[in-house]
Amino acid sequence: MTQREGSLEAPQADSSVSLLPHLEAKIRQTHSLAHLLTKYAEQLLQEYVQLQGDPFGLPGFSPPRLPVAGLSAPAPSHAGLPVHERLRLDAAALAALPPLLDVVRRRQAELNPRAPRLLRRLEDAARQARALGAAVEAVLAALGAVNRGPRAEPPAAAAAAAAAAASGVFPAKVLGLRVCGLYREWLSRTEGDLGQLLPGGPA
Amino acid sequence: MPAGRRGPAAQSARRPPPLLPLLLLCVLGAPRAGSGAHTAVISPQDPTLLIGSSLQATCSVHGDPPGATAEGLYWTLNGRRLPPELSRVLNTSTLALALANLNGSRQQSGDNLVCHARDGSILAGSCLYVGLPPEKPFNISCWSKNMKDLTCRWTPGAHGETFLHTNYSLKYKLRWYGQDNTCEEYHTVGPHSCHIPKDLALFTPYEIWVEATNRLGSARSDVLTLDILDVVTTDPPPDVHVSRVGGLEDQLSVRWVSPPALKDFLFQAKYQIRYRVEDSVDWKVVDDVSNQTSCRLAGLKPGTVYFVQVRCNPFGIYGSKKAGIWSEWSHPTAASTPRSERPGPGGGACEPRGGEPSSGPVRRELKQFLGWLKKHAYCSNLSFRLYDQWRAWMQKSHKTRNQDEGILPSGRRGTARGPAR
Repeated sequence: MTQREGSLEAPQADSSVSLLPHLEAKIRQTHSLAHLLTKYAEQLLQEYVQLQGDPFGLPGFSPPRLPVAGLSAPAPSHAGLPVHERLRLDAAALAALPPLLDVVRRRQAELNPRAPRLLRRLEDAARQARALGAAVEAVLAALGAVNRGPRAEPPAAAAAAAAAAASGVFPAKVLGLRVCGLYREWLSRTEGDLGQLLPGGPA
Repeated sequence: MPAGRRGPAAQSARRPPPLLPLLLLCVLGAPRAGSGAHTAVISPQDPTLLIGSSLQATCSVHGDPPGATAEGLYWTLNGRRLPPELSRVLNTSTLALALANLNGSRQQSGDNLVCHARDGSILAGSCLYVGLPPEKPFNISCWSKNMKDLTCRWTPGAHGETFLHTNYSLKYKLRWYGQDNTCEEYHTVGPHSCHIPKDLALFTPYEIWVEATNRLGSARSDVLTLDILDVVTTDPPPDVHVSRVGGLEDQLSVRWVSPPALKDFLFQAKYQIRYRVEDSVDWKVVDDVSNQTSCRLAGLKPGTVYFVQVRCNPFGIYGSKKAGIWSEWSHPTAASTPRSERPGPGGGACEPRGGEPSSGPVRRELKQFLGWLKKHAYCSNLSFRLYDQWRAWMQKSHKTRNQDEGILPSGRRGTARGPAR
């Protein structure tokens, strides 16, 4: 559609695009989902650090933020990209997260077997990341944006994460913290990016 | 079951882990701006230790530029910095730590022992598992609900707290044949319980035991042998109704129904009733209500709300000689005794006047007297029922007399005492 293509070619006009009602409803719905899941991700992170024991929950705790294979944190330049590019990166990250969350859940099932709530939250997080990723892809498709960007390779990411998990309990705890942190960051990022598509501009 | 597995080694991928991703994921090395990339290794990694034992650990630094020094390194355990006197520099790149008399692990995922660089950044970590091997579980008790399933409960060893995740596994087998089976539905009636929902045989004994396992060892309970028929319980009696007994101010009638799930089975039922005053926590129990589905409570306070519960013991199923297992108590049912017509201190008198039959002790004595009379005198139609009828009549005539005050002279009171026989 000409209007949608116009909005994609002119990033500055993002917020002024008059979206079709059903598309706007879809974006609003996806934005609400992202907002809700961001809250859940906060709760997951809090529960995770509590169960790993100090220093994980302490304010000054700062393990090295090394990149996780197959997934990195949103770059500082992310906010300056066109909205469709940002959403593509969001969708790619959301697709890479589930296998990593599964690895963390399996490890936590050994380390904290009597923590059913944490295990359930990790399982739910993987499902929710998939659902939100699919919703963002649907928004992109509705906007006429073709996914051109490089995609993460989830199997490789999961294998690498599993290998790291095998190397020791402390690194596995840190890896889980990193994955939960990335999950929260990408959800928050997705919420912000979708918010920019809504009439009225960014939240 | 997650416990008992020796740790991360069991979970590794089928092919050797690729080195590059490991390095990428290795959070032991922290690239710091302007200082090169230092990594470290703590040895031992993730040790398991007995409470009270000692630990000798080392943190060996290596990185770029080479010759990274151990000076300035320090240790923390669960986020708390360890005193410097516990550490010593072994060589230029290795810092040693000596911990004595270790306490039990603070969390089941392991205590976090961390080696830090001078600036506080994390170089390496290892998780300590300090605890006790499991003690022998004991006190296994099992019951079958309506002969359809089996639930067992046990006590986890002498102290229970091992500070390590301890896995409990309930095992069972037919005594004279069959293989070991493992119960799968845990924590059904508390943390140390398991439920076997089906495929249980009757008239043949089972052997049941519990195995406890953690990183430091395992223990097995004694074997309990039982026949399902000897440990049957049932649902509480349904349809419990409590009602007044005419105008009798100190009695309530309780009726219930025999548990329907056992209606096709031959068994004798024992029942127990317990009751309490509305604002009290003390229950009174009526025992030996055998094989009947009604009972009359007596000696109660007039004008008082009572809560009543009933439970059933279906002993003797198919001729079992064992005592059976009491059901849960039925839901409380409430009723109130009639308010006393006699004025007295506090209104609605609970205490009787002089000359009037009182509640418990007098009633007991009267019961004994009636029993004696039946034996030694020819008064076969004497019964408590007759006595109750008389009391009801007495109360009625009291009420009438109060209403028609002065019509009957007080001297005629004795003749109005009981109905003509």
